[in-house]
Amino acid sequence: MAVRDDVHELTGEQFHEQVHSFEFWFHSVEGYLSGLEYGHREGAAEPDLDDAERDRLISVLCNYCVGETAALDGASGLVAIAPNRHAKIFLSTQVVDEGRHLEVLLHRMSELGVADPEQEIAARACPSLLQFKDRLLELVAERDWEAAILAQNVILEALEFAVFHHHAKTADAITAEVLNGIVKDERRHIGFGENELGRRLRDAPNEHRRLREVKDELDHLVLDALEDTARSLGVGDIERHALGRMYIGSVQRLGLDR
Amino acid sequence: MADFLSAYSIQNWLESCPQAYLEGTEYGHQPGENEPEDLLANEVLREDAIRTTVQLVVGEKCALAASSGLINAAPDEGSKCFLATQTLDEARHVEVFTQRLIDLGVKKKDLDETIRRHANPNLVRFAEVLLEKVDKKDFVAGVVGQNIVLEGMAFSVFEMLKAVTDAVNPKFAHTLAGTIADERRHVGFGENRIGSLIKQHPERKPEIEQMQKDMSYHMLATFAASFRNNPAREQIEQVKEGMRESGVNAEYHGANLSELSPEEMEGVLSDTVLEEFKVRLGRIGIDYQTPARP
Repeated sequence: MAVRDDVHELTGEQFHEQVHSFEFWFHSVEGYLSGLEYGHREGAAEPDLDDAERDRLISVLCNYCVGETAALDGASGLVAIAPNRHAKIFLSTQVVDEGRHLEVLLHRMSELGVADPEQEIAARACPSLLQFKDRLLELVAERDWEAAILAQNVILEALEFAVFHHHAKTADAITAEVLNGIVKDERRHIGFGENELGRRLRDAPNEHRRLREVKDELDHLVLDALEDTARSLGVGDIERHALGRMYIGSVQRLGLDR
Repeated sequence: MADFLSAYSIQNWLESCPQAYLEGTEYGHQPGENEPEDLLANEVLREDAIRTTVQLVVGEKCALAASSGLINAAPDEGSKCFLATQTLDEARHVEVFTQRLIDLGVKKKDLDETIRRHANPNLVRFAEVLLEKVDKKDFVAGVVGQNIVLEGMAFSVFEMLKAVTDAVNPKFAHTLAGTIADERRHVGFGENRIGSLIKQHPERKPEIEQMQKDMSYHMLATFAASFRNNPAREQIEQVKEGMRESGVNAEYHGANLSELSPEEMEGVLSDTVLEEFKVRLGRIGIDYQTPARP
């Protein structure tokens, strides 16, 4: 296998080349996707949910699908504007990850008895999340690489990471397994976003201000969506604040709050 | 339609591609396989292999741009998910063919310049015709151009290259085998998904037929430039002579390629691709348009 086990032996350039390759992606995902059917083990017992719990879970899953569709459309659009071949290849692995997330979440809804998931999503989608999606796709259409990567691979991925990670702790076993698989992918995507933007901000410090404005514009949409999801999940005040802090912490790592 | 699309799910793709025919491969071939020594030692043949591989990279870059660009225009979640798998397939093809350039001795810093220098202008124009449709978010024309015309061409070219290299370059033949398996899936999606959309939008047919005619012309011009006046002609003839002496039958659509002249090989490839277009376009209700011959 061309992928080196000890990444510490690689030069900076070799490291970027390796972690952005199809080969690296494949070896990363095969460990945790092998043997799973639509994100979970086959034959796992369905939880015994009452009507209200089932309905709340469906609302949450619908909004996860909105987020993943935004991520799929966003990542696929970013392939065209990526500045080099390695970034294009990494984003292609992200495209298939996001497509997989959408597919497993739609499948989970059909397992819960939803006959027409797409119609259900249209009916239950959180308006803030839809606005976020529109803004993300505008940034991609404007070919604004830095702002689109911030919106997609830092803000959206950090939101999903925080919510899915938290939800997996309290969800039924099947949903938890699906979410934990998604969270593993999100770590890779956030890593790419932080790395890509971190290097660019280091080389062009005047970008800080512009990206902070983009972040400020998107923050309230993200926090609204977070609030909405937390309500559907029945999360209490303390945990809700913890979720908000988790999201903000991810974005703060880029130093955009200063 | 939902049933048909379930055959093109990411779950199926994971099980049939990365976890099946790509399992254990390294850049598409078996670990430890190398380009043949006699190819690397012969400057004319090595340069010819680089020139050929550059065309594959150019075609795959176009396919990557097209498949990723069409996701946003796809009318349903199932098509988006299939195009997500196709995006990664095409990115993998870019990666493995770029790696072949490196294996053939192109330095990493010279990759972009090498691709720019050797890219056939007709192939670049072929890509531009398709990407104009993708840029306009024209899903129907984009999928016909991408999954029937471009992928149909790639499928036939890869099969011909594989027939020629099976006996003399197992490393490259194995790389091609994986890409052929991918292209077969892509062509299948195009045929299955677009037929119903063409029925819903018959008014789109003339524009799509013109696109096919234009792309086909640029494809034929690319073939002509590759086969005729090839600077490596003499050396390639020597390789073919060696294949004949060893009793190698490089069979492709009923012809033994080691016995054909470059012009005859061009004819076999062109006829095969155009015949495939005619059949596949007929299946989705598009009337094949005969292109001018360069």
